[in-house]
Amino acid sequence: MEDTAILWMVALETVFAGAIYLVLPRIARHGLLFGVYVGEERATAEAARRIRRLWTRWVLGATTVTVALQLLLRRPLGAILCLAVFAVGLLFLYLWSHFASRALAPTAPPPPAVAVLEDDGSGGILPHATLAFAVACGLLALAYAGVSYPSLPERIPTHFGLSGAPDGWSAKSLGSVLLLPFLGVVQGLVLGLLCLLVSQAKRALRLNDGGASLRAQHAFRRAMTRFLCGITWLVSLTLLIASVFAIRTAQGRSAGLPMAVLGLAGLLLVVALGGIVVLAVRYGQGGARLEGAATAPLTDGLADNRYWVLGMFYVNRNDPSMMVENRFGLGYTLNFGNWKAVVGLAGLLVFVLGLTLFAILGVR
Amino acid sequence: MTALVIDPAIDEPVYGQIARQLREAIVAGALPPGRTLPAVRTVASDLGVNLNTVARAYRQLQEEGFLEIAHRTGARVIGPPASAARDRVEPLRRDLRATVARLLQAGLDRGQLREMLEAELAALGGRRRG
Repeated sequence: MEDTAILWMVALETVFAGAIYLVLPRIARHGLLFGVYVGEERATAEAARRIRRLWTRWVLGATTVTVALQLLLRRPLGAILCLAVFAVGLLFLYLWSHFASRALAPTAPPPPAVAVLEDDGSGGILPHATLAFAVACGLLALAYAGVSYPSLPERIPTHFGLSGAPDGWSAKSLGSVLLLPFLGVVQGLVLGLLCLLVSQAKRALRLNDGGASLRAQHAFRRAMTRFLCGITWLVSLTLLIASVFAIRTAQGRSAGLPMAVLGLAGLLLVVALGGIVVLAVRYGQGGARLEGAATAPLTDGLADNRYWVLGMFYVNRNDPSMMVENRFGLGYTLNFGNWKAVVGLAGLLVFVLGLTLFAILGVR
Repeated sequence: MTALVIDPAIDEPVYGQIARQLREAIVAGALPPGRTLPAVRTVASDLGVNLNTVARAYRQLQEEGFLEIAHRTGARVIGPPASAARDRVEPLRRDLRATVARLLQAGLDRGQLREMLEAELAALGGRRRG
């Protein structure tokens, strides 16, 4: 039963991913083509349309074949492997499209950079409140686990099934007891900071467009910030309740995780998937769908092909921005030329690796 | 909507372009007295330039008397005084005389020079007394 549920989840995930990848070229900022700035005129020329058509056919075909294989294999592991191959295939397809688009890139210098002397639109306390709430949830769970530690039995539940009942146990140790609450603190910090950085992300404006791109950028950034804050609140609450009830289950004061945890996890999934669809369809990447005809040229970082590696990685040491708009995809990416962003990412990766090792050794 | 446009192709340093455009916007009335400018970081992020470049432009305008910069409130546009102060006008008059001499030496006649001055005043537009 659980295997069938996982199989269908993976198949649906494949369909969803395929649908998103079909839509991505259509929601990119006008002038961008598979991570390359080709100019507003060339982006609608026949050569660009041909690359998009090929992309559409390949994504449709790959999605159909992958889902068919997953259902034929009828095994969760096989389905996951198919999904992995599908993801790698999409990456190669993107790279092909990217290099094909490079041939259309203009040789002229990029348009001049533009800054507007208006409100930067990053106001509001929501991102700060989200960071505070998320970290507080993690610290609360950590404190509860710490205070309860002496009263825990020698074997504690460390894994729970879909029903919420425990189905895996480990010996009591600091690692096994504190891992989940500690994850709560880390995710609180990471997601909370992400919300804050996105709310202040670099704007990518058009030259002489009467403010249309500025309004679109602010609307998208606000929507993206609210989306990420919603995700962060739900994840923080879920981890807090799961941590507390894992302890209570170990103490014999609860039969397992309450339905609230599953409910929150389900809500999180709905909000995450629904949010992505709304952002893509209603706003487009960077507010592309709100910009209207958008014939005015993009400027600065987003329009300067020299600062982009494979259309995915922005590297500009002169730019103090931490988060910049994605050229292909939905949302923002780091400025890898900013040492703070690189150090932050490296620190996070080291921390995750360390935590993983701690979890493996500690739980044992 | 007031915007700064930085063109790397022209032979003027970036901080100079920022300062010049802000100066002209202030004189033209597009940035009225009391208006707070965006933070240095915001402008630097929009333009993709170093923080110090924008900070230098703001400081230059502060020295020229266009802005006042306070730690908590940021950079604020200040209006001209009720009457021209001699100690501020004299050095600028000397600069103007030097520029006029250079333009005459470049081949302009006095009529052309007057037309140029009128055109520059018209381009600056905004608040003018008398």
